[in-house]
Amino acid sequence: MHRIIAAVLFVSLASPALADASAAVKETEQAIKGKGRYGDAGCGLGSLAFGTDPGFVQVVASWLNTTLLYNQTFAITFGTSNCRGIAGISAARAFIDTNREVLAKDIARGQGETIGALTWIGGCSSSRQVGSVLQRSYQEIFPTTDVSSDKVADAILERMKAEKALQCIEFGS
Amino acid sequence: MHRVRLLSPAVGLLLALWLGAAPPVARGQGPDGAYAEELVAAARARSLAAEVQWLRLGHYQQRLLGGWESQADGPGFFLAEGGKTDPQAELEATLRAFFAPPAAPSEHPQCAFPARLTWLSGQLGIDPARLPRPTCPGLDEYRRRVRARGVTLVFSSYYLQSASSAFGHTLLRLDGAPSPGGGTGRELLDQGVNYAAESDASNALTYAWRGLTGGFKGAFAYQPYYYKVREYGDFESRDLWEYELDLRPEETARLVDHVWELGHTWFDYYYADENCSYHVLSALDVASPRLDLAARTKPIVLPADTVRIVWRTPGLVKAVHRRPSIRSQFRARAAALAPEESDALERVVSAPAAPLPPALAPESQARVLDAAVDWVDYVHAKEILGNVPTPAADAKQALLVRRAALGLPSPEPEVSPEARDAPHDGHDSVRVGLGAGPSSSAWPVVAIDFRLAGHDLADPPGGYSDVDELELARVELQWEPAGPSTFRLSTLTALGIRSLPDFGRFDRHLSWELSVGATTLYDGGCDGCLAGQGVGGVGLAKSLDAGDRFSVFALADLSIQGAPDLKGISGGPVRVGLGPSVGARAVLLDRLVLLATGYWWWLPGATVSSVWGYELTGRVGVGRFAIDLQFRAHPLERLGLARAFFYF
Repeated sequence: MHRIIAAVLFVSLASPALADASAAVKETEQAIKGKGRYGDAGCGLGSLAFGTDPGFVQVVASWLNTTLLYNQTFAITFGTSNCRGIAGISAARAFIDTNREVLAKDIARGQGETIGALTWIGGCSSSRQVGSVLQRSYQEIFPTTDVSSDKVADAILERMKAEKALQCIEFGS
Repeated sequence: MHRVRLLSPAVGLLLALWLGAAPPVARGQGPDGAYAEELVAAARARSLAAEVQWLRLGHYQQRLLGGWESQADGPGFFLAEGGKTDPQAELEATLRAFFAPPAAPSEHPQCAFPARLTWLSGQLGIDPARLPRPTCPGLDEYRRRVRARGVTLVFSSYYLQSASSAFGHTLLRLDGAPSPGGGTGRELLDQGVNYAAESDASNALTYAWRGLTGGFKGAFAYQPYYYKVREYGDFESRDLWEYELDLRPEETARLVDHVWELGHTWFDYYYADENCSYHVLSALDVASPRLDLAARTKPIVLPADTVRIVWRTPGLVKAVHRRPSIRSQFRARAAALAPEESDALERVVSAPAAPLPPALAPESQARVLDAAVDWVDYVHAKEILGNVPTPAADAKQALLVRRAALGLPSPEPEVSPEARDAPHDGHDSVRVGLGAGPSSSAWPVVAIDFRLAGHDLADPPGGYSDVDELELARVELQWEPAGPSTFRLSTLTALGIRSLPDFGRFDRHLSWELSVGATTLYDGGCDGCLAGQGVGGVGLAKSLDAGDRFSVFALADLSIQGAPDLKGISGGPVRVGLGPSVGARAVLLDRLVLLATGYWWWLPGATVSSVWGYELTGRVGVGRFAIDLQFRAHPLERLGLARAFFYF
């Protein structure tokens, strides 16, 4: 069955459209990944599933992580380097890094889904207040377009911790 | 399945005794090896390996010539030698492996196969006190991270401006607890479970061939859902449709565990059938024994078809939610602007520092700036990423600084709740048609139509984009009962694409078309020849209303046709056409489509200097059927057809 379908479809699809598809997928991932910002494969399903066994299984795990999950960007879980939990400071940094473009918009608007997520990660009391606090600090958080995401995260976390009324307990305020 | 069930308990017992004499290597190890053998015997006596759920857990499929074979291809998924083709051996090896000493250096089978453990425990009443108790740090971490309360099927829709999205994509989302206090945003932090292929081929032909013949490996991975929202919604401008499934808590837990098991393996990836959407369905089948979704797929598995399979399963979908892409968000924001706000928007998208009219209230200014920022994100999705200073990124920054200074919160954009393009409302993608009518040379002409997959501009519009057409493998045969000839191939479209986005004030995308196939010619170059044909075109489309119900388009075409008897360039078998093609389309009452298309091509150097054609179509959708009236004209032929189409 596979072969029949394959033959029929091959004739139909061996067109530039598909090559574009392959290239476009890669391009997307490269672009979102940027300069390997999340290229840390230590947390892929492969490594989680297979642990750190030596030998063949390890080879398979590393192959899973490096080749099969070519989109390592997406295969890692929270925490860019150490698979921490889904709340707290390292989770916030990973989130800010990946969502930078949308977060900038939501902060300027004082409201939005990424503000809600950040509120959740920080264990803060109210996303409305978080939005309003960050909106007032937009230019300190995003002073220029080329400010690094680390600096952006520093500024956001600093503001959220400093504003005691937000009660962001996961950030230790 | 019958094979194994034929084993009577007596034969099973004999077998058990015989296998019990096998070398000790095959036996369960550790202190309770004897208990493991007891369980194996019990499983054999009850033919557990023939149970549907065991076969599903192992992704076993019946082979054509009898016997079973698992679709899983990675060796890590099988504990028995030959487990890929032997569910019985795999079940016994699994039972024995669960009794392996817990201190082994490798991951314990209990940790690697939690769904198998749960199921076998339930079936055999395994005494947990007699099982070894290994620690499973990886599995524990995974469960803790996921903490699933529910499962959502996510469909990433198509948007033909990005070719890779042509058929859509599905993934699963494991939904955690809702935000305390009911705020939004928690969804972003849920875990998406995605099945994807490694495609490292650089050459188009290799890519297509390997993709269709299982030359790539596919595997499951999980990652925060926000990656998917960023990738599909923001970067590729594809709406995400989220179908919250009504699974019982134990079904959700089983899915979570089984996804973990699937992390031990890969599948040969077949783009056509064993693809992402197929494996999403088969994972749901494992989670919920009452379902049988994967069996309802067709030879070609298209993601939107699988959404309809889920949607039509009674009681399975609890709620539907549309997550608008950046394009949809921009369109919604732009549509909500008053005329003077639209004018202001036009100014700030071209000059981000342009002053807004002082008469605009702060709320109004916020609306303009919000739309402008979404416009930058939509049109320059690639240039605004990361911290790279590009003109687009600088423009966005300037707009955001102005926006933040207003100090007002923005409401979410009101995305039209009508959602005429909800994928679950769409017609199925395989189409057959039958009809007849008069032509200028014969009466009647019978037309038989088949299409493997897709949607054309005249098909029932619900569930599909109004500006996109994509057809795969369409064939039309004609037959004249009164004529001498038998069936004649009238049209063959291997691949046909038309993308006709509204060229609007802010959304300036070109229209284009591409088709490859064969068609019968009726003109001075050859009357009645079947000619191979390729057509490409670029142009503009204009929607006359906000919902794309009424639109016109014009493209500049380049075509090439070839047939042995064709009098083409210098009388040879090939000719090239250059010229306009135009069309107009109207959707009435959401189910009647009127479509008129036509072309005129100049044929440089050919025996006839030009060729033309037009088609007038009216088609009304009724349930899974459509009634179609069509008139076609070419220089030497006129044809009218009344046809019925059936979609399945």
